[in-house]
Amino acid sequence: MNPALFRLLVEATGYTVALSAVSIVAGLAVGLAVATAMLSRRRALSMPARAFVSFFRGVPLLVQLLLIYNLLPSVGIDLPGIVAAAIGLTLCTAAYQAETLRGGFAGVPRGLVEAADMVGLTPVQLFWRIRVPIAVKLTLPSLVSEAIMILKASSLVSVVGVVELTRMAQDLAASTYRPLPIYATAGALYIAVDWGIAGLGHALERRSRWGRA
Amino acid sequence: MLDPSFIVAQLPAVLGAAAVTAWIWAASAILGVAGGVGIALARRFGPRPVDLALKFSIEMVRGSPFLVQLFLLYYGGPYVGLSLDPVPAGLLALTVYGAAYYSEIIRGGFAAVPPGHVEAAACLGFTHAQTLLRVEIPEVAAVVLPALVNMTILLLKETAVLSVITVPELTMAISAIGSESYRFVEALFLLALFYWGLVEGCGVLGRFAEARLARFGVAAP
Amino acid sequence: MTKRLFLKAAFGLTLLGIASGTARADDALARVRATGTLKVGTETAFAPFDFIDAGQHVGLNVDLFEALGKDMGLKIQWVALPWEGVLPGLQAGKFDVVAGPVTITKARMERYRFLPPIADATDALLKRPNEADLAKPADISGKTVGAGKASSQLAQLQDYAKTLGQPVTIREYVGNTDAYADLAAGRIAAVANSYTNIAYVAKQRPDTFAVVEPPFGPKSYFGYLIPKAPESATLADALSAGIVKMKADGRLAALQKKWFGAASDTPDAVTAPEL
Repeated sequence: MNPALFRLLVEATGYTVALSAVSIVAGLAVGLAVATAMLSRRRALSMPARAFVSFFRGVPLLVQLLLIYNLLPSVGIDLPGIVAAAIGLTLCTAAYQAETLRGGFAGVPRGLVEAADMVGLTPVQLFWRIRVPIAVKLTLPSLVSEAIMILKASSLVSVVGVVELTRMAQDLAASTYRPLPIYATAGALYIAVDWGIAGLGHALERRSRWGRA
Repeated sequence: MLDPSFIVAQLPAVLGAAAVTAWIWAASAILGVAGGVGIALARRFGPRPVDLALKFSIEMVRGSPFLVQLFLLYYGGPYVGLSLDPVPAGLLALTVYGAAYYSEIIRGGFAAVPPGHVEAAACLGFTHAQTLLRVEIPEVAAVVLPALVNMTILLLKETAVLSVITVPELTMAISAIGSESYRFVEALFLLALFYWGLVEGCGVLGRFAEARLARFGVAAP
Repeated sequence: MTKRLFLKAAFGLTLLGIASGTARADDALARVRATGTLKVGTETAFAPFDFIDAGQHVGLNVDLFEALGKDMGLKIQWVALPWEGVLPGLQAGKFDVVAGPVTITKARMERYRFLPPIADATDALLKRPNEADLAKPADISGKTVGAGKASSQLAQLQDYAKTLGQPVTIREYVGNTDAYADLAAGRIAAVANSYTNIAYVAKQRPDTFAVVEPPFGPKSYFGYLIPKAPESATLADALSAGIVKMKADGRLAALQKKWFGAASDTPDAVTAPEL
């Protein structure tokens, strides 16, 4: 393959990785909030959280992105494509992560929570020092596969004008009329990034084994 | 902004495309789960080279976007003598993609069966086959069900990619309606409504299956 | 409590909607002049009009808008989207004008205003080279032919197919690139697209593709489009005058020669398209 084309694909991979990384981290924060709200006994909190998950899991990401990009301007919120893409990916992964984390919270041993309560941890401390670290640790493998899912889902953000890896491959296929080598290279680049994510996940898993969680 | 009468007028055409999406989705999910079970068992009981070859293939399939895989199969296949029609190509690609994910979920489920249960079955005089069928598979099913439902939902989203190889599915039909009528908002609404309906339907089936398993006394630990 | 929150949110959104409604009613030309930037929506997978070559956004569109911007003292800001996102983006006010270009048809003229045509858009067929049984357009009778989904060239192909002896199987593709790939893979006998586009494809890859002469469709033209809303009228007039000027002083012909290999005659305005 032409080295100039390869360089363009690698540069576009930068966008793909940056966008996915931002969305995964922000999505974890939103997902934690949503999972906590889902487990709340107050219906005013749990109902909207459930609706959030149902909407963002049930409606295709493509539609979510187009709603954010094309429909929000009619209520005065005009976001640039890259921001719309980050928000769309974040909310989508937050919904999936919330479902996973909800299972993680359920797996926190009761005895541990009671013990922490007895030694005098405040509810806030209990949440941040005990429940969140354990829930995240328990669900780490699922969170890693979710990260890989989002990496691949980021190929949809071209609908709001972001030229990431897939779009770059499509553009190059359209100007060279040689789609097969270009798509094969793009696929290999995705796999390379996945290996990076999976390696990072393994490292985190090993650390958390003797970490404070 | 939304014109309900326009949406109603489009329903017959959209329902036809939804049927295409639904059957390809259901078929690839069923075949994918079957393939996933097969792969998981082959990796557990087969020789080591088979395990490694399957592991490598799964990494490749899980690691790259479905669009890229489908494109290479459909547009690249004819160069190596594999010229499939759009629907068989789509079904094959989707089944392989699903099987790779399903097999990993099921493998994780086997790991979650407490060794004590298998030993207890052995003490009671169960054969290997009986232990697998009566103890391990029901327990695995209960453990992996939520993850299987999740993956099946993701598989539905991937069916939209089949439009790239001219399969007349839901996304293809609705975006054609949008660009022919210039009613993009209505088209988005239809797209959201139909996929959300299919996902919720899948969720209902999943909860039904969970309840059935619970009735047989099997539940996630 | 949720209900009150919801009502508050709805009220807020309505206010925002009213505010943005008034903001958007401003005259488009005045707004563009105030910011000094003309936003142009396009798809970058439409060679020779608009594509990525060695990492650079190039094509007739880029050169033409650059010249137009220089004449009017405006900077050009490109917004590149997949084609299915371009017209919704125009409707959402993401940009002022759509490059594309778009085939001028009656149906589209009802919804949009077209700037003066910049190229010929007559429908023609692309085939594999050395296919002796596809020497003229009518030879697609009984064969399978592809075209872009919801394109004017697809509609023309459907009409043309009805006039032939045996039924033509027509496959609709999301992108033209996919149709070309399927032609190269041998599943379809030909692809219908504008003569301007496919002549370029055949020139780039003569080993894989060839043009079926002559074009089969009724005479049609490509143009840029702009919303029909009254606030866009002054901007449309200014851009139209700019294009007519480029036609008169020979700059458009020079660009056509640069990108298509030959200049073609286009009218100053299309009032009654054949399509």
